[in-house]
Amino acid sequence: MEMVIMAAALIIGLGALGAGIGFGLLGGKLLESTARQPELGNQLQTKAFIMAGLLDAVPMIGVGIAMYLIFVVAG
Amino acid sequence: MSPTRKRINRLPFLQWLAIETGLIVVLSLAWFTESRLAGYSAFVGGLIYVIPNAYFAHRMYRFEGARNAHLVVGNMFRAETVKLALTAVFFAAVFILMEPVHVPALLFTFAVMVVLSPLLRWFIRPQPQR
Repeated sequence: MEMVIMAAALIIGLGALGAGIGFGLLGGKLLESTARQPELGNQLQTKAFIMAGLLDAVPMIGVGIAMYLIFVVAG
Repeated sequence: MSPTRKRINRLPFLQWLAIETGLIVVLSLAWFTESRLAGYSAFVGGLIYVIPNAYFAHRMYRFEGARNAHLVVGNMFRAETVKLALTAVFFAAVFILMEPVHVPALLFTFAVMVVLSPLLRWFIRPQPQR
Protein backbone atom coordinates (compact mmCIF):
# COMPACT_ATOMS: atom_id res chain seq x y z
CA MET A 1 0.00 0.00 0.00
CA GLU A 2 2.72 2.48 1.05
CA MET A 3 4.86 1.37 -1.89
CA VAL A 4 1.98 2.08 -4.30
CA ILE A 5 1.61 5.60 -2.93
CA MET A 6 5.39 6.05 -3.18
CA ALA A 7 5.30 4.88 -6.80
CA ALA A 8 2.51 7.34 -7.62
CA ALA A 9 4.41 10.15 -5.91
CA LEU A 10 7.54 9.32 -7.90
CA ILE A 11 5.59 9.22 -11.18
CA ILE A 12 3.96 12.61 -10.54
CA GLY A 13 7.09 14.20 -9.08
CA LEU A 14 9.54 13.11 -11.77
CA GLY A 15 6.99 13.88 -14.49
CA ALA A 16 6.50 17.39 -13.08
CA LEU A 17 10.28 17.85 -12.85
CA GLY A 18 10.77 16.85 -16.48
CA ALA A 19 7.87 19.00 -17.68
CA GLY A 20 9.18 21.93 -15.62
CA ILE A 21 12.69 21.71 -17.09
CA GLY A 22 11.29 21.27 -20.60
CA PHE A 23 8.88 24.18 -20.33
CA GLY A 24 11.57 26.38 -18.82
CA LEU A 25 13.87 25.68 -21.75
CA LEU A 26 11.03 26.08 -24.26
CA GLY A 27 9.87 29.39 -22.79
CA GLY A 28 13.42 30.70 -22.51
CA LYS A 29 14.21 29.85 -26.12
CA LEU A 30 10.92 31.37 -27.26
CA LEU A 31 11.74 34.67 -25.53
CA GLU A 32 15.31 34.60 -26.81
CA SER A 33 14.41 33.88 -30.42
CA THR A 34 11.52 36.39 -30.41
CA ALA A 35 13.93 39.04 -29.16
CA ARG A 36 16.39 38.17 -31.93
CA GLN A 37 13.84 38.15 -34.75
CA PRO A 38 10.59 39.84 -33.70
CA GLU A 39 9.07 39.43 -37.17
CA LEU A 40 9.01 35.65 -36.63
CA GLY A 41 7.18 35.97 -33.32
CA ASN A 42 3.91 34.42 -34.54
CA GLN A 43 5.55 31.44 -36.20
CA LEU A 44 7.68 30.84 -33.12
CA GLN A 45 4.61 30.98 -30.89
CA THR A 46 2.85 28.39 -33.05
CA LYS A 47 5.89 26.11 -32.97
CA ALA A 48 6.20 26.52 -29.19
CA PHE A 49 2.51 25.63 -28.87
CA ILE A 50 2.97 22.41 -30.85
CA MET A 51 6.13 21.51 -28.93
CA ALA A 52 4.33 22.13 -25.63
CA GLY A 53 1.76 19.50 -26.65
CA LEU A 54 4.51 16.97 -27.33
CA LEU A 55 6.45 17.93 -24.20
CA ASP A 56 3.65 17.27 -21.73
CA ALA A 57 2.54 13.97 -23.30
CA VAL A 58 4.50 11.72 -20.94
CA PRO A 59 3.71 13.67 -17.71
CA MET A 60 0.01 13.67 -18.65
CA ILE A 61 -0.05 9.89 -19.10
CA GLY A 62 1.95 9.63 -15.86
CA VAL A 63 -0.70 11.65 -14.02
CA GLY A 64 -3.40 9.30 -15.33
CA ILE A 65 -1.51 6.19 -14.20
CA ALA A 66 -0.66 7.77 -10.83
CA MET A 67 -4.32 8.63 -10.18
CA TYR A 68 -5.23 5.03 -11.05
CA LEU A 69 -2.63 3.78 -8.56
CA ILE A 70 -3.81 6.12 -5.81
CA PHE A 71 -7.58 5.77 -6.17
CA VAL A 72 -8.06 2.24 -7.55
CA VAL A 73 -5.04 0.11 -6.57
CA ALA A 74 -4.38 1.65 -3.15
CA GLY A 75 -7.88 3.01 -2.50
CA MET B 1 3.80 49.25 -22.28
CA SER B 2 0.25 47.93 -22.31
CA PRO B 3 -0.45 44.52 -23.90
CA THR B 4 -2.26 44.56 -27.24
CA ARG B 5 -5.24 42.28 -27.70
CA LYS B 6 -5.31 42.51 -31.49
CA ARG B 7 -5.58 39.03 -33.01
CA ILE B 8 -2.70 38.15 -35.35
CA ASN B 9 -3.31 34.42 -35.84
CA ARG B 10 -6.58 32.73 -36.76
CA LEU B 11 -7.04 29.83 -34.34
CA PRO B 12 -8.79 26.82 -35.92
CA PHE B 13 -10.33 26.11 -32.52
CA LEU B 14 -13.64 24.65 -33.68
CA GLN B 15 -11.89 22.54 -36.29
CA TRP B 16 -9.58 21.06 -33.63
CA LEU B 17 -12.48 20.38 -31.28
CA ALA B 18 -14.58 18.77 -34.03
CA ILE B 19 -11.78 16.46 -35.19
CA GLU B 20 -10.84 15.52 -31.62
CA THR B 21 -14.47 14.76 -30.76
CA GLY B 22 -14.75 12.67 -33.92
CA LEU B 23 -11.64 10.74 -32.93
CA ILE B 24 -13.06 10.10 -29.44
CA VAL B 25 -16.32 8.84 -30.92
CA VAL B 26 -14.46 6.46 -33.27
CA LEU B 27 -12.33 5.11 -30.42
CA SER B 28 -15.39 4.76 -28.18
CA LEU B 29 -17.24 2.83 -30.89
CA ALA B 30 -14.22 0.54 -31.24
CA TRP B 31 -14.27 -0.13 -27.48
CA PHE B 32 -18.06 -0.44 -27.57
CA THR B 33 -17.62 -3.74 -29.42
CA GLU B 34 -16.04 -5.16 -26.26
CA SER B 35 -18.67 -3.88 -23.85
CA ARG B 36 -20.93 -0.91 -23.27
CA LEU B 37 -18.96 0.10 -20.19
CA ALA B 38 -15.69 0.06 -22.15
CA GLY B 39 -17.16 2.37 -24.81
CA TYR B 40 -18.45 4.79 -22.18
CA SER B 41 -15.11 4.73 -20.31
CA ALA B 42 -13.22 5.37 -23.55
CA PHE B 43 -15.40 8.40 -24.26
CA VAL B 44 -14.76 9.77 -20.76
CA GLY B 45 -11.01 9.14 -21.17
CA GLY B 46 -10.99 11.18 -24.36
CA LEU B 47 -12.93 14.02 -22.73
CA ILE B 48 -10.43 14.11 -19.84
CA TYR B 49 -7.79 15.06 -22.41
CA VAL B 50 -9.80 17.36 -24.66
CA ILE B 51 -11.24 19.73 -22.01
CA PRO B 52 -7.93 20.74 -20.30
CA ASN B 53 -6.23 20.91 -23.70
CA ALA B 54 -8.88 23.30 -25.04
CA TYR B 55 -8.24 25.52 -22.02
CA PHE B 56 -4.49 25.34 -22.73
CA ALA B 57 -4.93 26.40 -26.36
CA HIS B 58 -7.26 29.24 -25.39
CA ARG B 59 -4.90 30.54 -22.68
CA MET B 60 -1.74 30.17 -24.79
CA TYR B 61 -3.18 32.35 -27.58
CA ARG B 62 -4.52 35.03 -25.24
CA PHE B 63 -1.61 37.27 -26.24
CA GLU B 64 0.25 37.30 -29.52
CA GLY B 65 3.15 39.07 -31.19
CA ALA B 66 6.75 39.89 -30.32
CA ARG B 67 5.74 42.87 -28.17
CA ASN B 68 3.81 40.53 -25.84
CA ALA B 69 6.38 37.70 -25.79
CA HIS B 70 6.78 37.86 -22.00
CA LEU B 71 2.99 37.57 -21.56
CA VAL B 72 2.86 34.66 -24.01
CA VAL B 73 5.48 32.73 -22.02
CA GLY B 74 3.87 33.57 -18.67
CA ASN B 75 0.48 32.43 -19.93
CA MET B 76 2.03 29.25 -21.34
CA PHE B 77 3.42 28.32 -17.90
CA ARG B 78 0.15 29.07 -16.14
CA ALA B 79 -1.87 27.22 -18.78
CA GLU B 80 0.33 24.14 -18.46
CA THR B 81 0.01 24.14 -14.67
CA VAL B 82 -3.76 24.40 -14.83
CA LYS B 83 -3.90 21.74 -17.56
CA LEU B 84 -1.97 19.20 -15.45
CA ALA B 85 -4.03 20.05 -12.35
CA LEU B 86 -7.32 19.74 -14.27
CA THR B 87 -6.23 16.37 -15.68
CA ALA B 88 -5.38 15.08 -12.20
CA VAL B 89 -8.71 16.34 -10.79
CA PHE B 90 -10.72 14.81 -13.65
CA PHE B 91 -8.98 11.45 -13.27
CA ALA B 92 -9.51 11.51 -9.50
CA ALA B 93 -13.20 12.42 -10.01
CA VAL B 94 -13.69 9.59 -12.51
CA PHE B 95 -12.01 7.00 -10.29
CA ILE B 96 -13.97 8.13 -7.22
CA LEU B 97 -17.39 8.92 -8.69
CA MET B 98 -17.69 6.62 -11.73
CA GLU B 99 -18.33 3.12 -10.52
CA PRO B 100 -17.59 0.76 -12.29
CA VAL B 101 -15.03 1.99 -14.81
CA HIS B 102 -13.16 0.10 -17.54
CA VAL B 103 -9.62 1.31 -16.78
CA PRO B 104 -7.80 -0.03 -19.90
CA ALA B 105 -10.31 1.70 -22.21
CA LEU B 106 -10.09 4.95 -20.22
CA LEU B 107 -6.27 5.08 -20.17
CA PHE B 108 -5.85 3.80 -23.73
CA THR B 109 -8.14 6.45 -25.23
CA PHE B 110 -6.48 9.13 -23.11
CA ALA B 111 -2.99 8.03 -24.25
CA VAL B 112 -4.04 7.87 -27.91
CA MET B 113 -5.50 11.38 -27.70
CA VAL B 114 -2.32 12.66 -25.99
CA VAL B 115 -0.24 11.35 -28.91
CA LEU B 116 -2.62 12.30 -31.74
CA SER B 117 -3.50 15.81 -30.59
CA PRO B 118 -0.05 17.42 -31.20
CA LEU B 119 -0.02 15.75 -34.63
CA LEU B 120 -3.43 17.30 -35.34
CA ARG B 121 -2.12 20.69 -34.27
CA TRP B 122 0.91 20.18 -36.52
CA PHE B 123 -1.25 19.49 -39.59
CA ILE B 124 -3.91 22.14 -38.84
CA ARG B 125 -1.85 25.08 -37.57
CA PRO B 126 -3.01 28.56 -36.58
CA GLN B 127 -2.81 30.68 -39.72
CA PRO B 128 -1.91 34.40 -39.82
CA GLN B 129 -4.92 36.70 -40.25
CA ARG B 130 -5.14 38.38 -43.64
